[in-house]
Amino acid sequence: MDPVDRRARLTAHSAGCPECREAPLPLDHLASLLEDTRPDIDAATLSRHAFARLQPELQRRAVLIGWRRVAVGVLLALLPLPFVLAYNAYFLRLVYGYLSVLLPATIAAYLVLSYAASLLLLFAATYAAIPVLLVGRRSRAAALP
Amino acid sequence: MASDEDLVGRLADGDEQALRELLRRYERPLSHFIYRHTSGRDVEDLYQETWLRVVQHAARFDRSRRFSTWLFHIAVNRCRDWHRRRPPEPIELPQGSGSDDLPAAETRLDAQRLLAMLPEPQREVVLLRYYQDLTEDEVAQILDCPKGTVKSRLHNALARLAATVRGQEH
Repeated sequence: MDPVDRRARLTAHSAGCPECREAPLPLDHLASLLEDTRPDIDAATLSRHAFARLQPELQRRAVLIGWRRVAVGVLLALLPLPFVLAYNAYFLRLVYGYLSVLLPATIAAYLVLSYAASLLLLFAATYAAIPVLLVGRRSRAAALP
Repeated sequence: MASDEDLVGRLADGDEQALRELLRRYERPLSHFIYRHTSGRDVEDLYQETWLRVVQHAARFDRSRRFSTWLFHIAVNRCRDWHRRRPPEPIELPQGSGSDDLPAAETRLDAQRLLAMLPEPQREVVLLRYYQDLTEDEVAQILDCPKGTVKSRLHNALARLAATVRGQEH
């Protein structure tokens, strides 16, 4: 702050303070005494040391929060899974019923089980992608200026 | 440019760049505040403790508040704790302080000594209002007291300083 501004602050206080108006203070003298030069400290060095001390804490926090986000993401994604599985089981039984009328039972079972296996693979790939996507999004966000 | 409050949000996620930027923005006002509060003692420790608190509590930072107010609130508390832990050293008043013709180092010493002889609540108000360019409302928020208290403490501090100055002149 400019020294003139500082002095102005004292003057402003004095103007708005009834006690100061009654017994005026030696504002100029006070201002010149308080108008010290900058303290003898290297603020940039202090910051470097502080950063070095806090870096492990930040890294620990980043890992913790990263895992927490992954856990929350996976849990949220798991919520609808029972309904999806129940619907697919119902759908597969329905398809198997129709197919077993048209085809031999073993072929119908083979087709339905193959479809079920594909669905399971798809689900597994989807859930495996959740943490990968979350980590990727976090890395991209961290790379932004 | 990201606001301080946005940076605190990123800091809560462990973002190192956010901390670097906040340190860069506040290193001078904060270190100078601590220096003046403790007369230059244990500045580095208190500076680091203040930022450690910021990092630890960043997730709980209220985004409706100004970061600077929160930061100085933490710094004030750290400095108060420091004063409680460690009794202040005896203050020697400067002899014949006609400051106009004194060299800068001696003038600085006078300012430090004058500040150090103020009671802690008054010194905090002078430091925040006079040196940190904060409004009375912000000072009241930082010190967690009414605005009227800030005004009266400032008046008492100035009156005390004036009395000291007059005492030395005679």
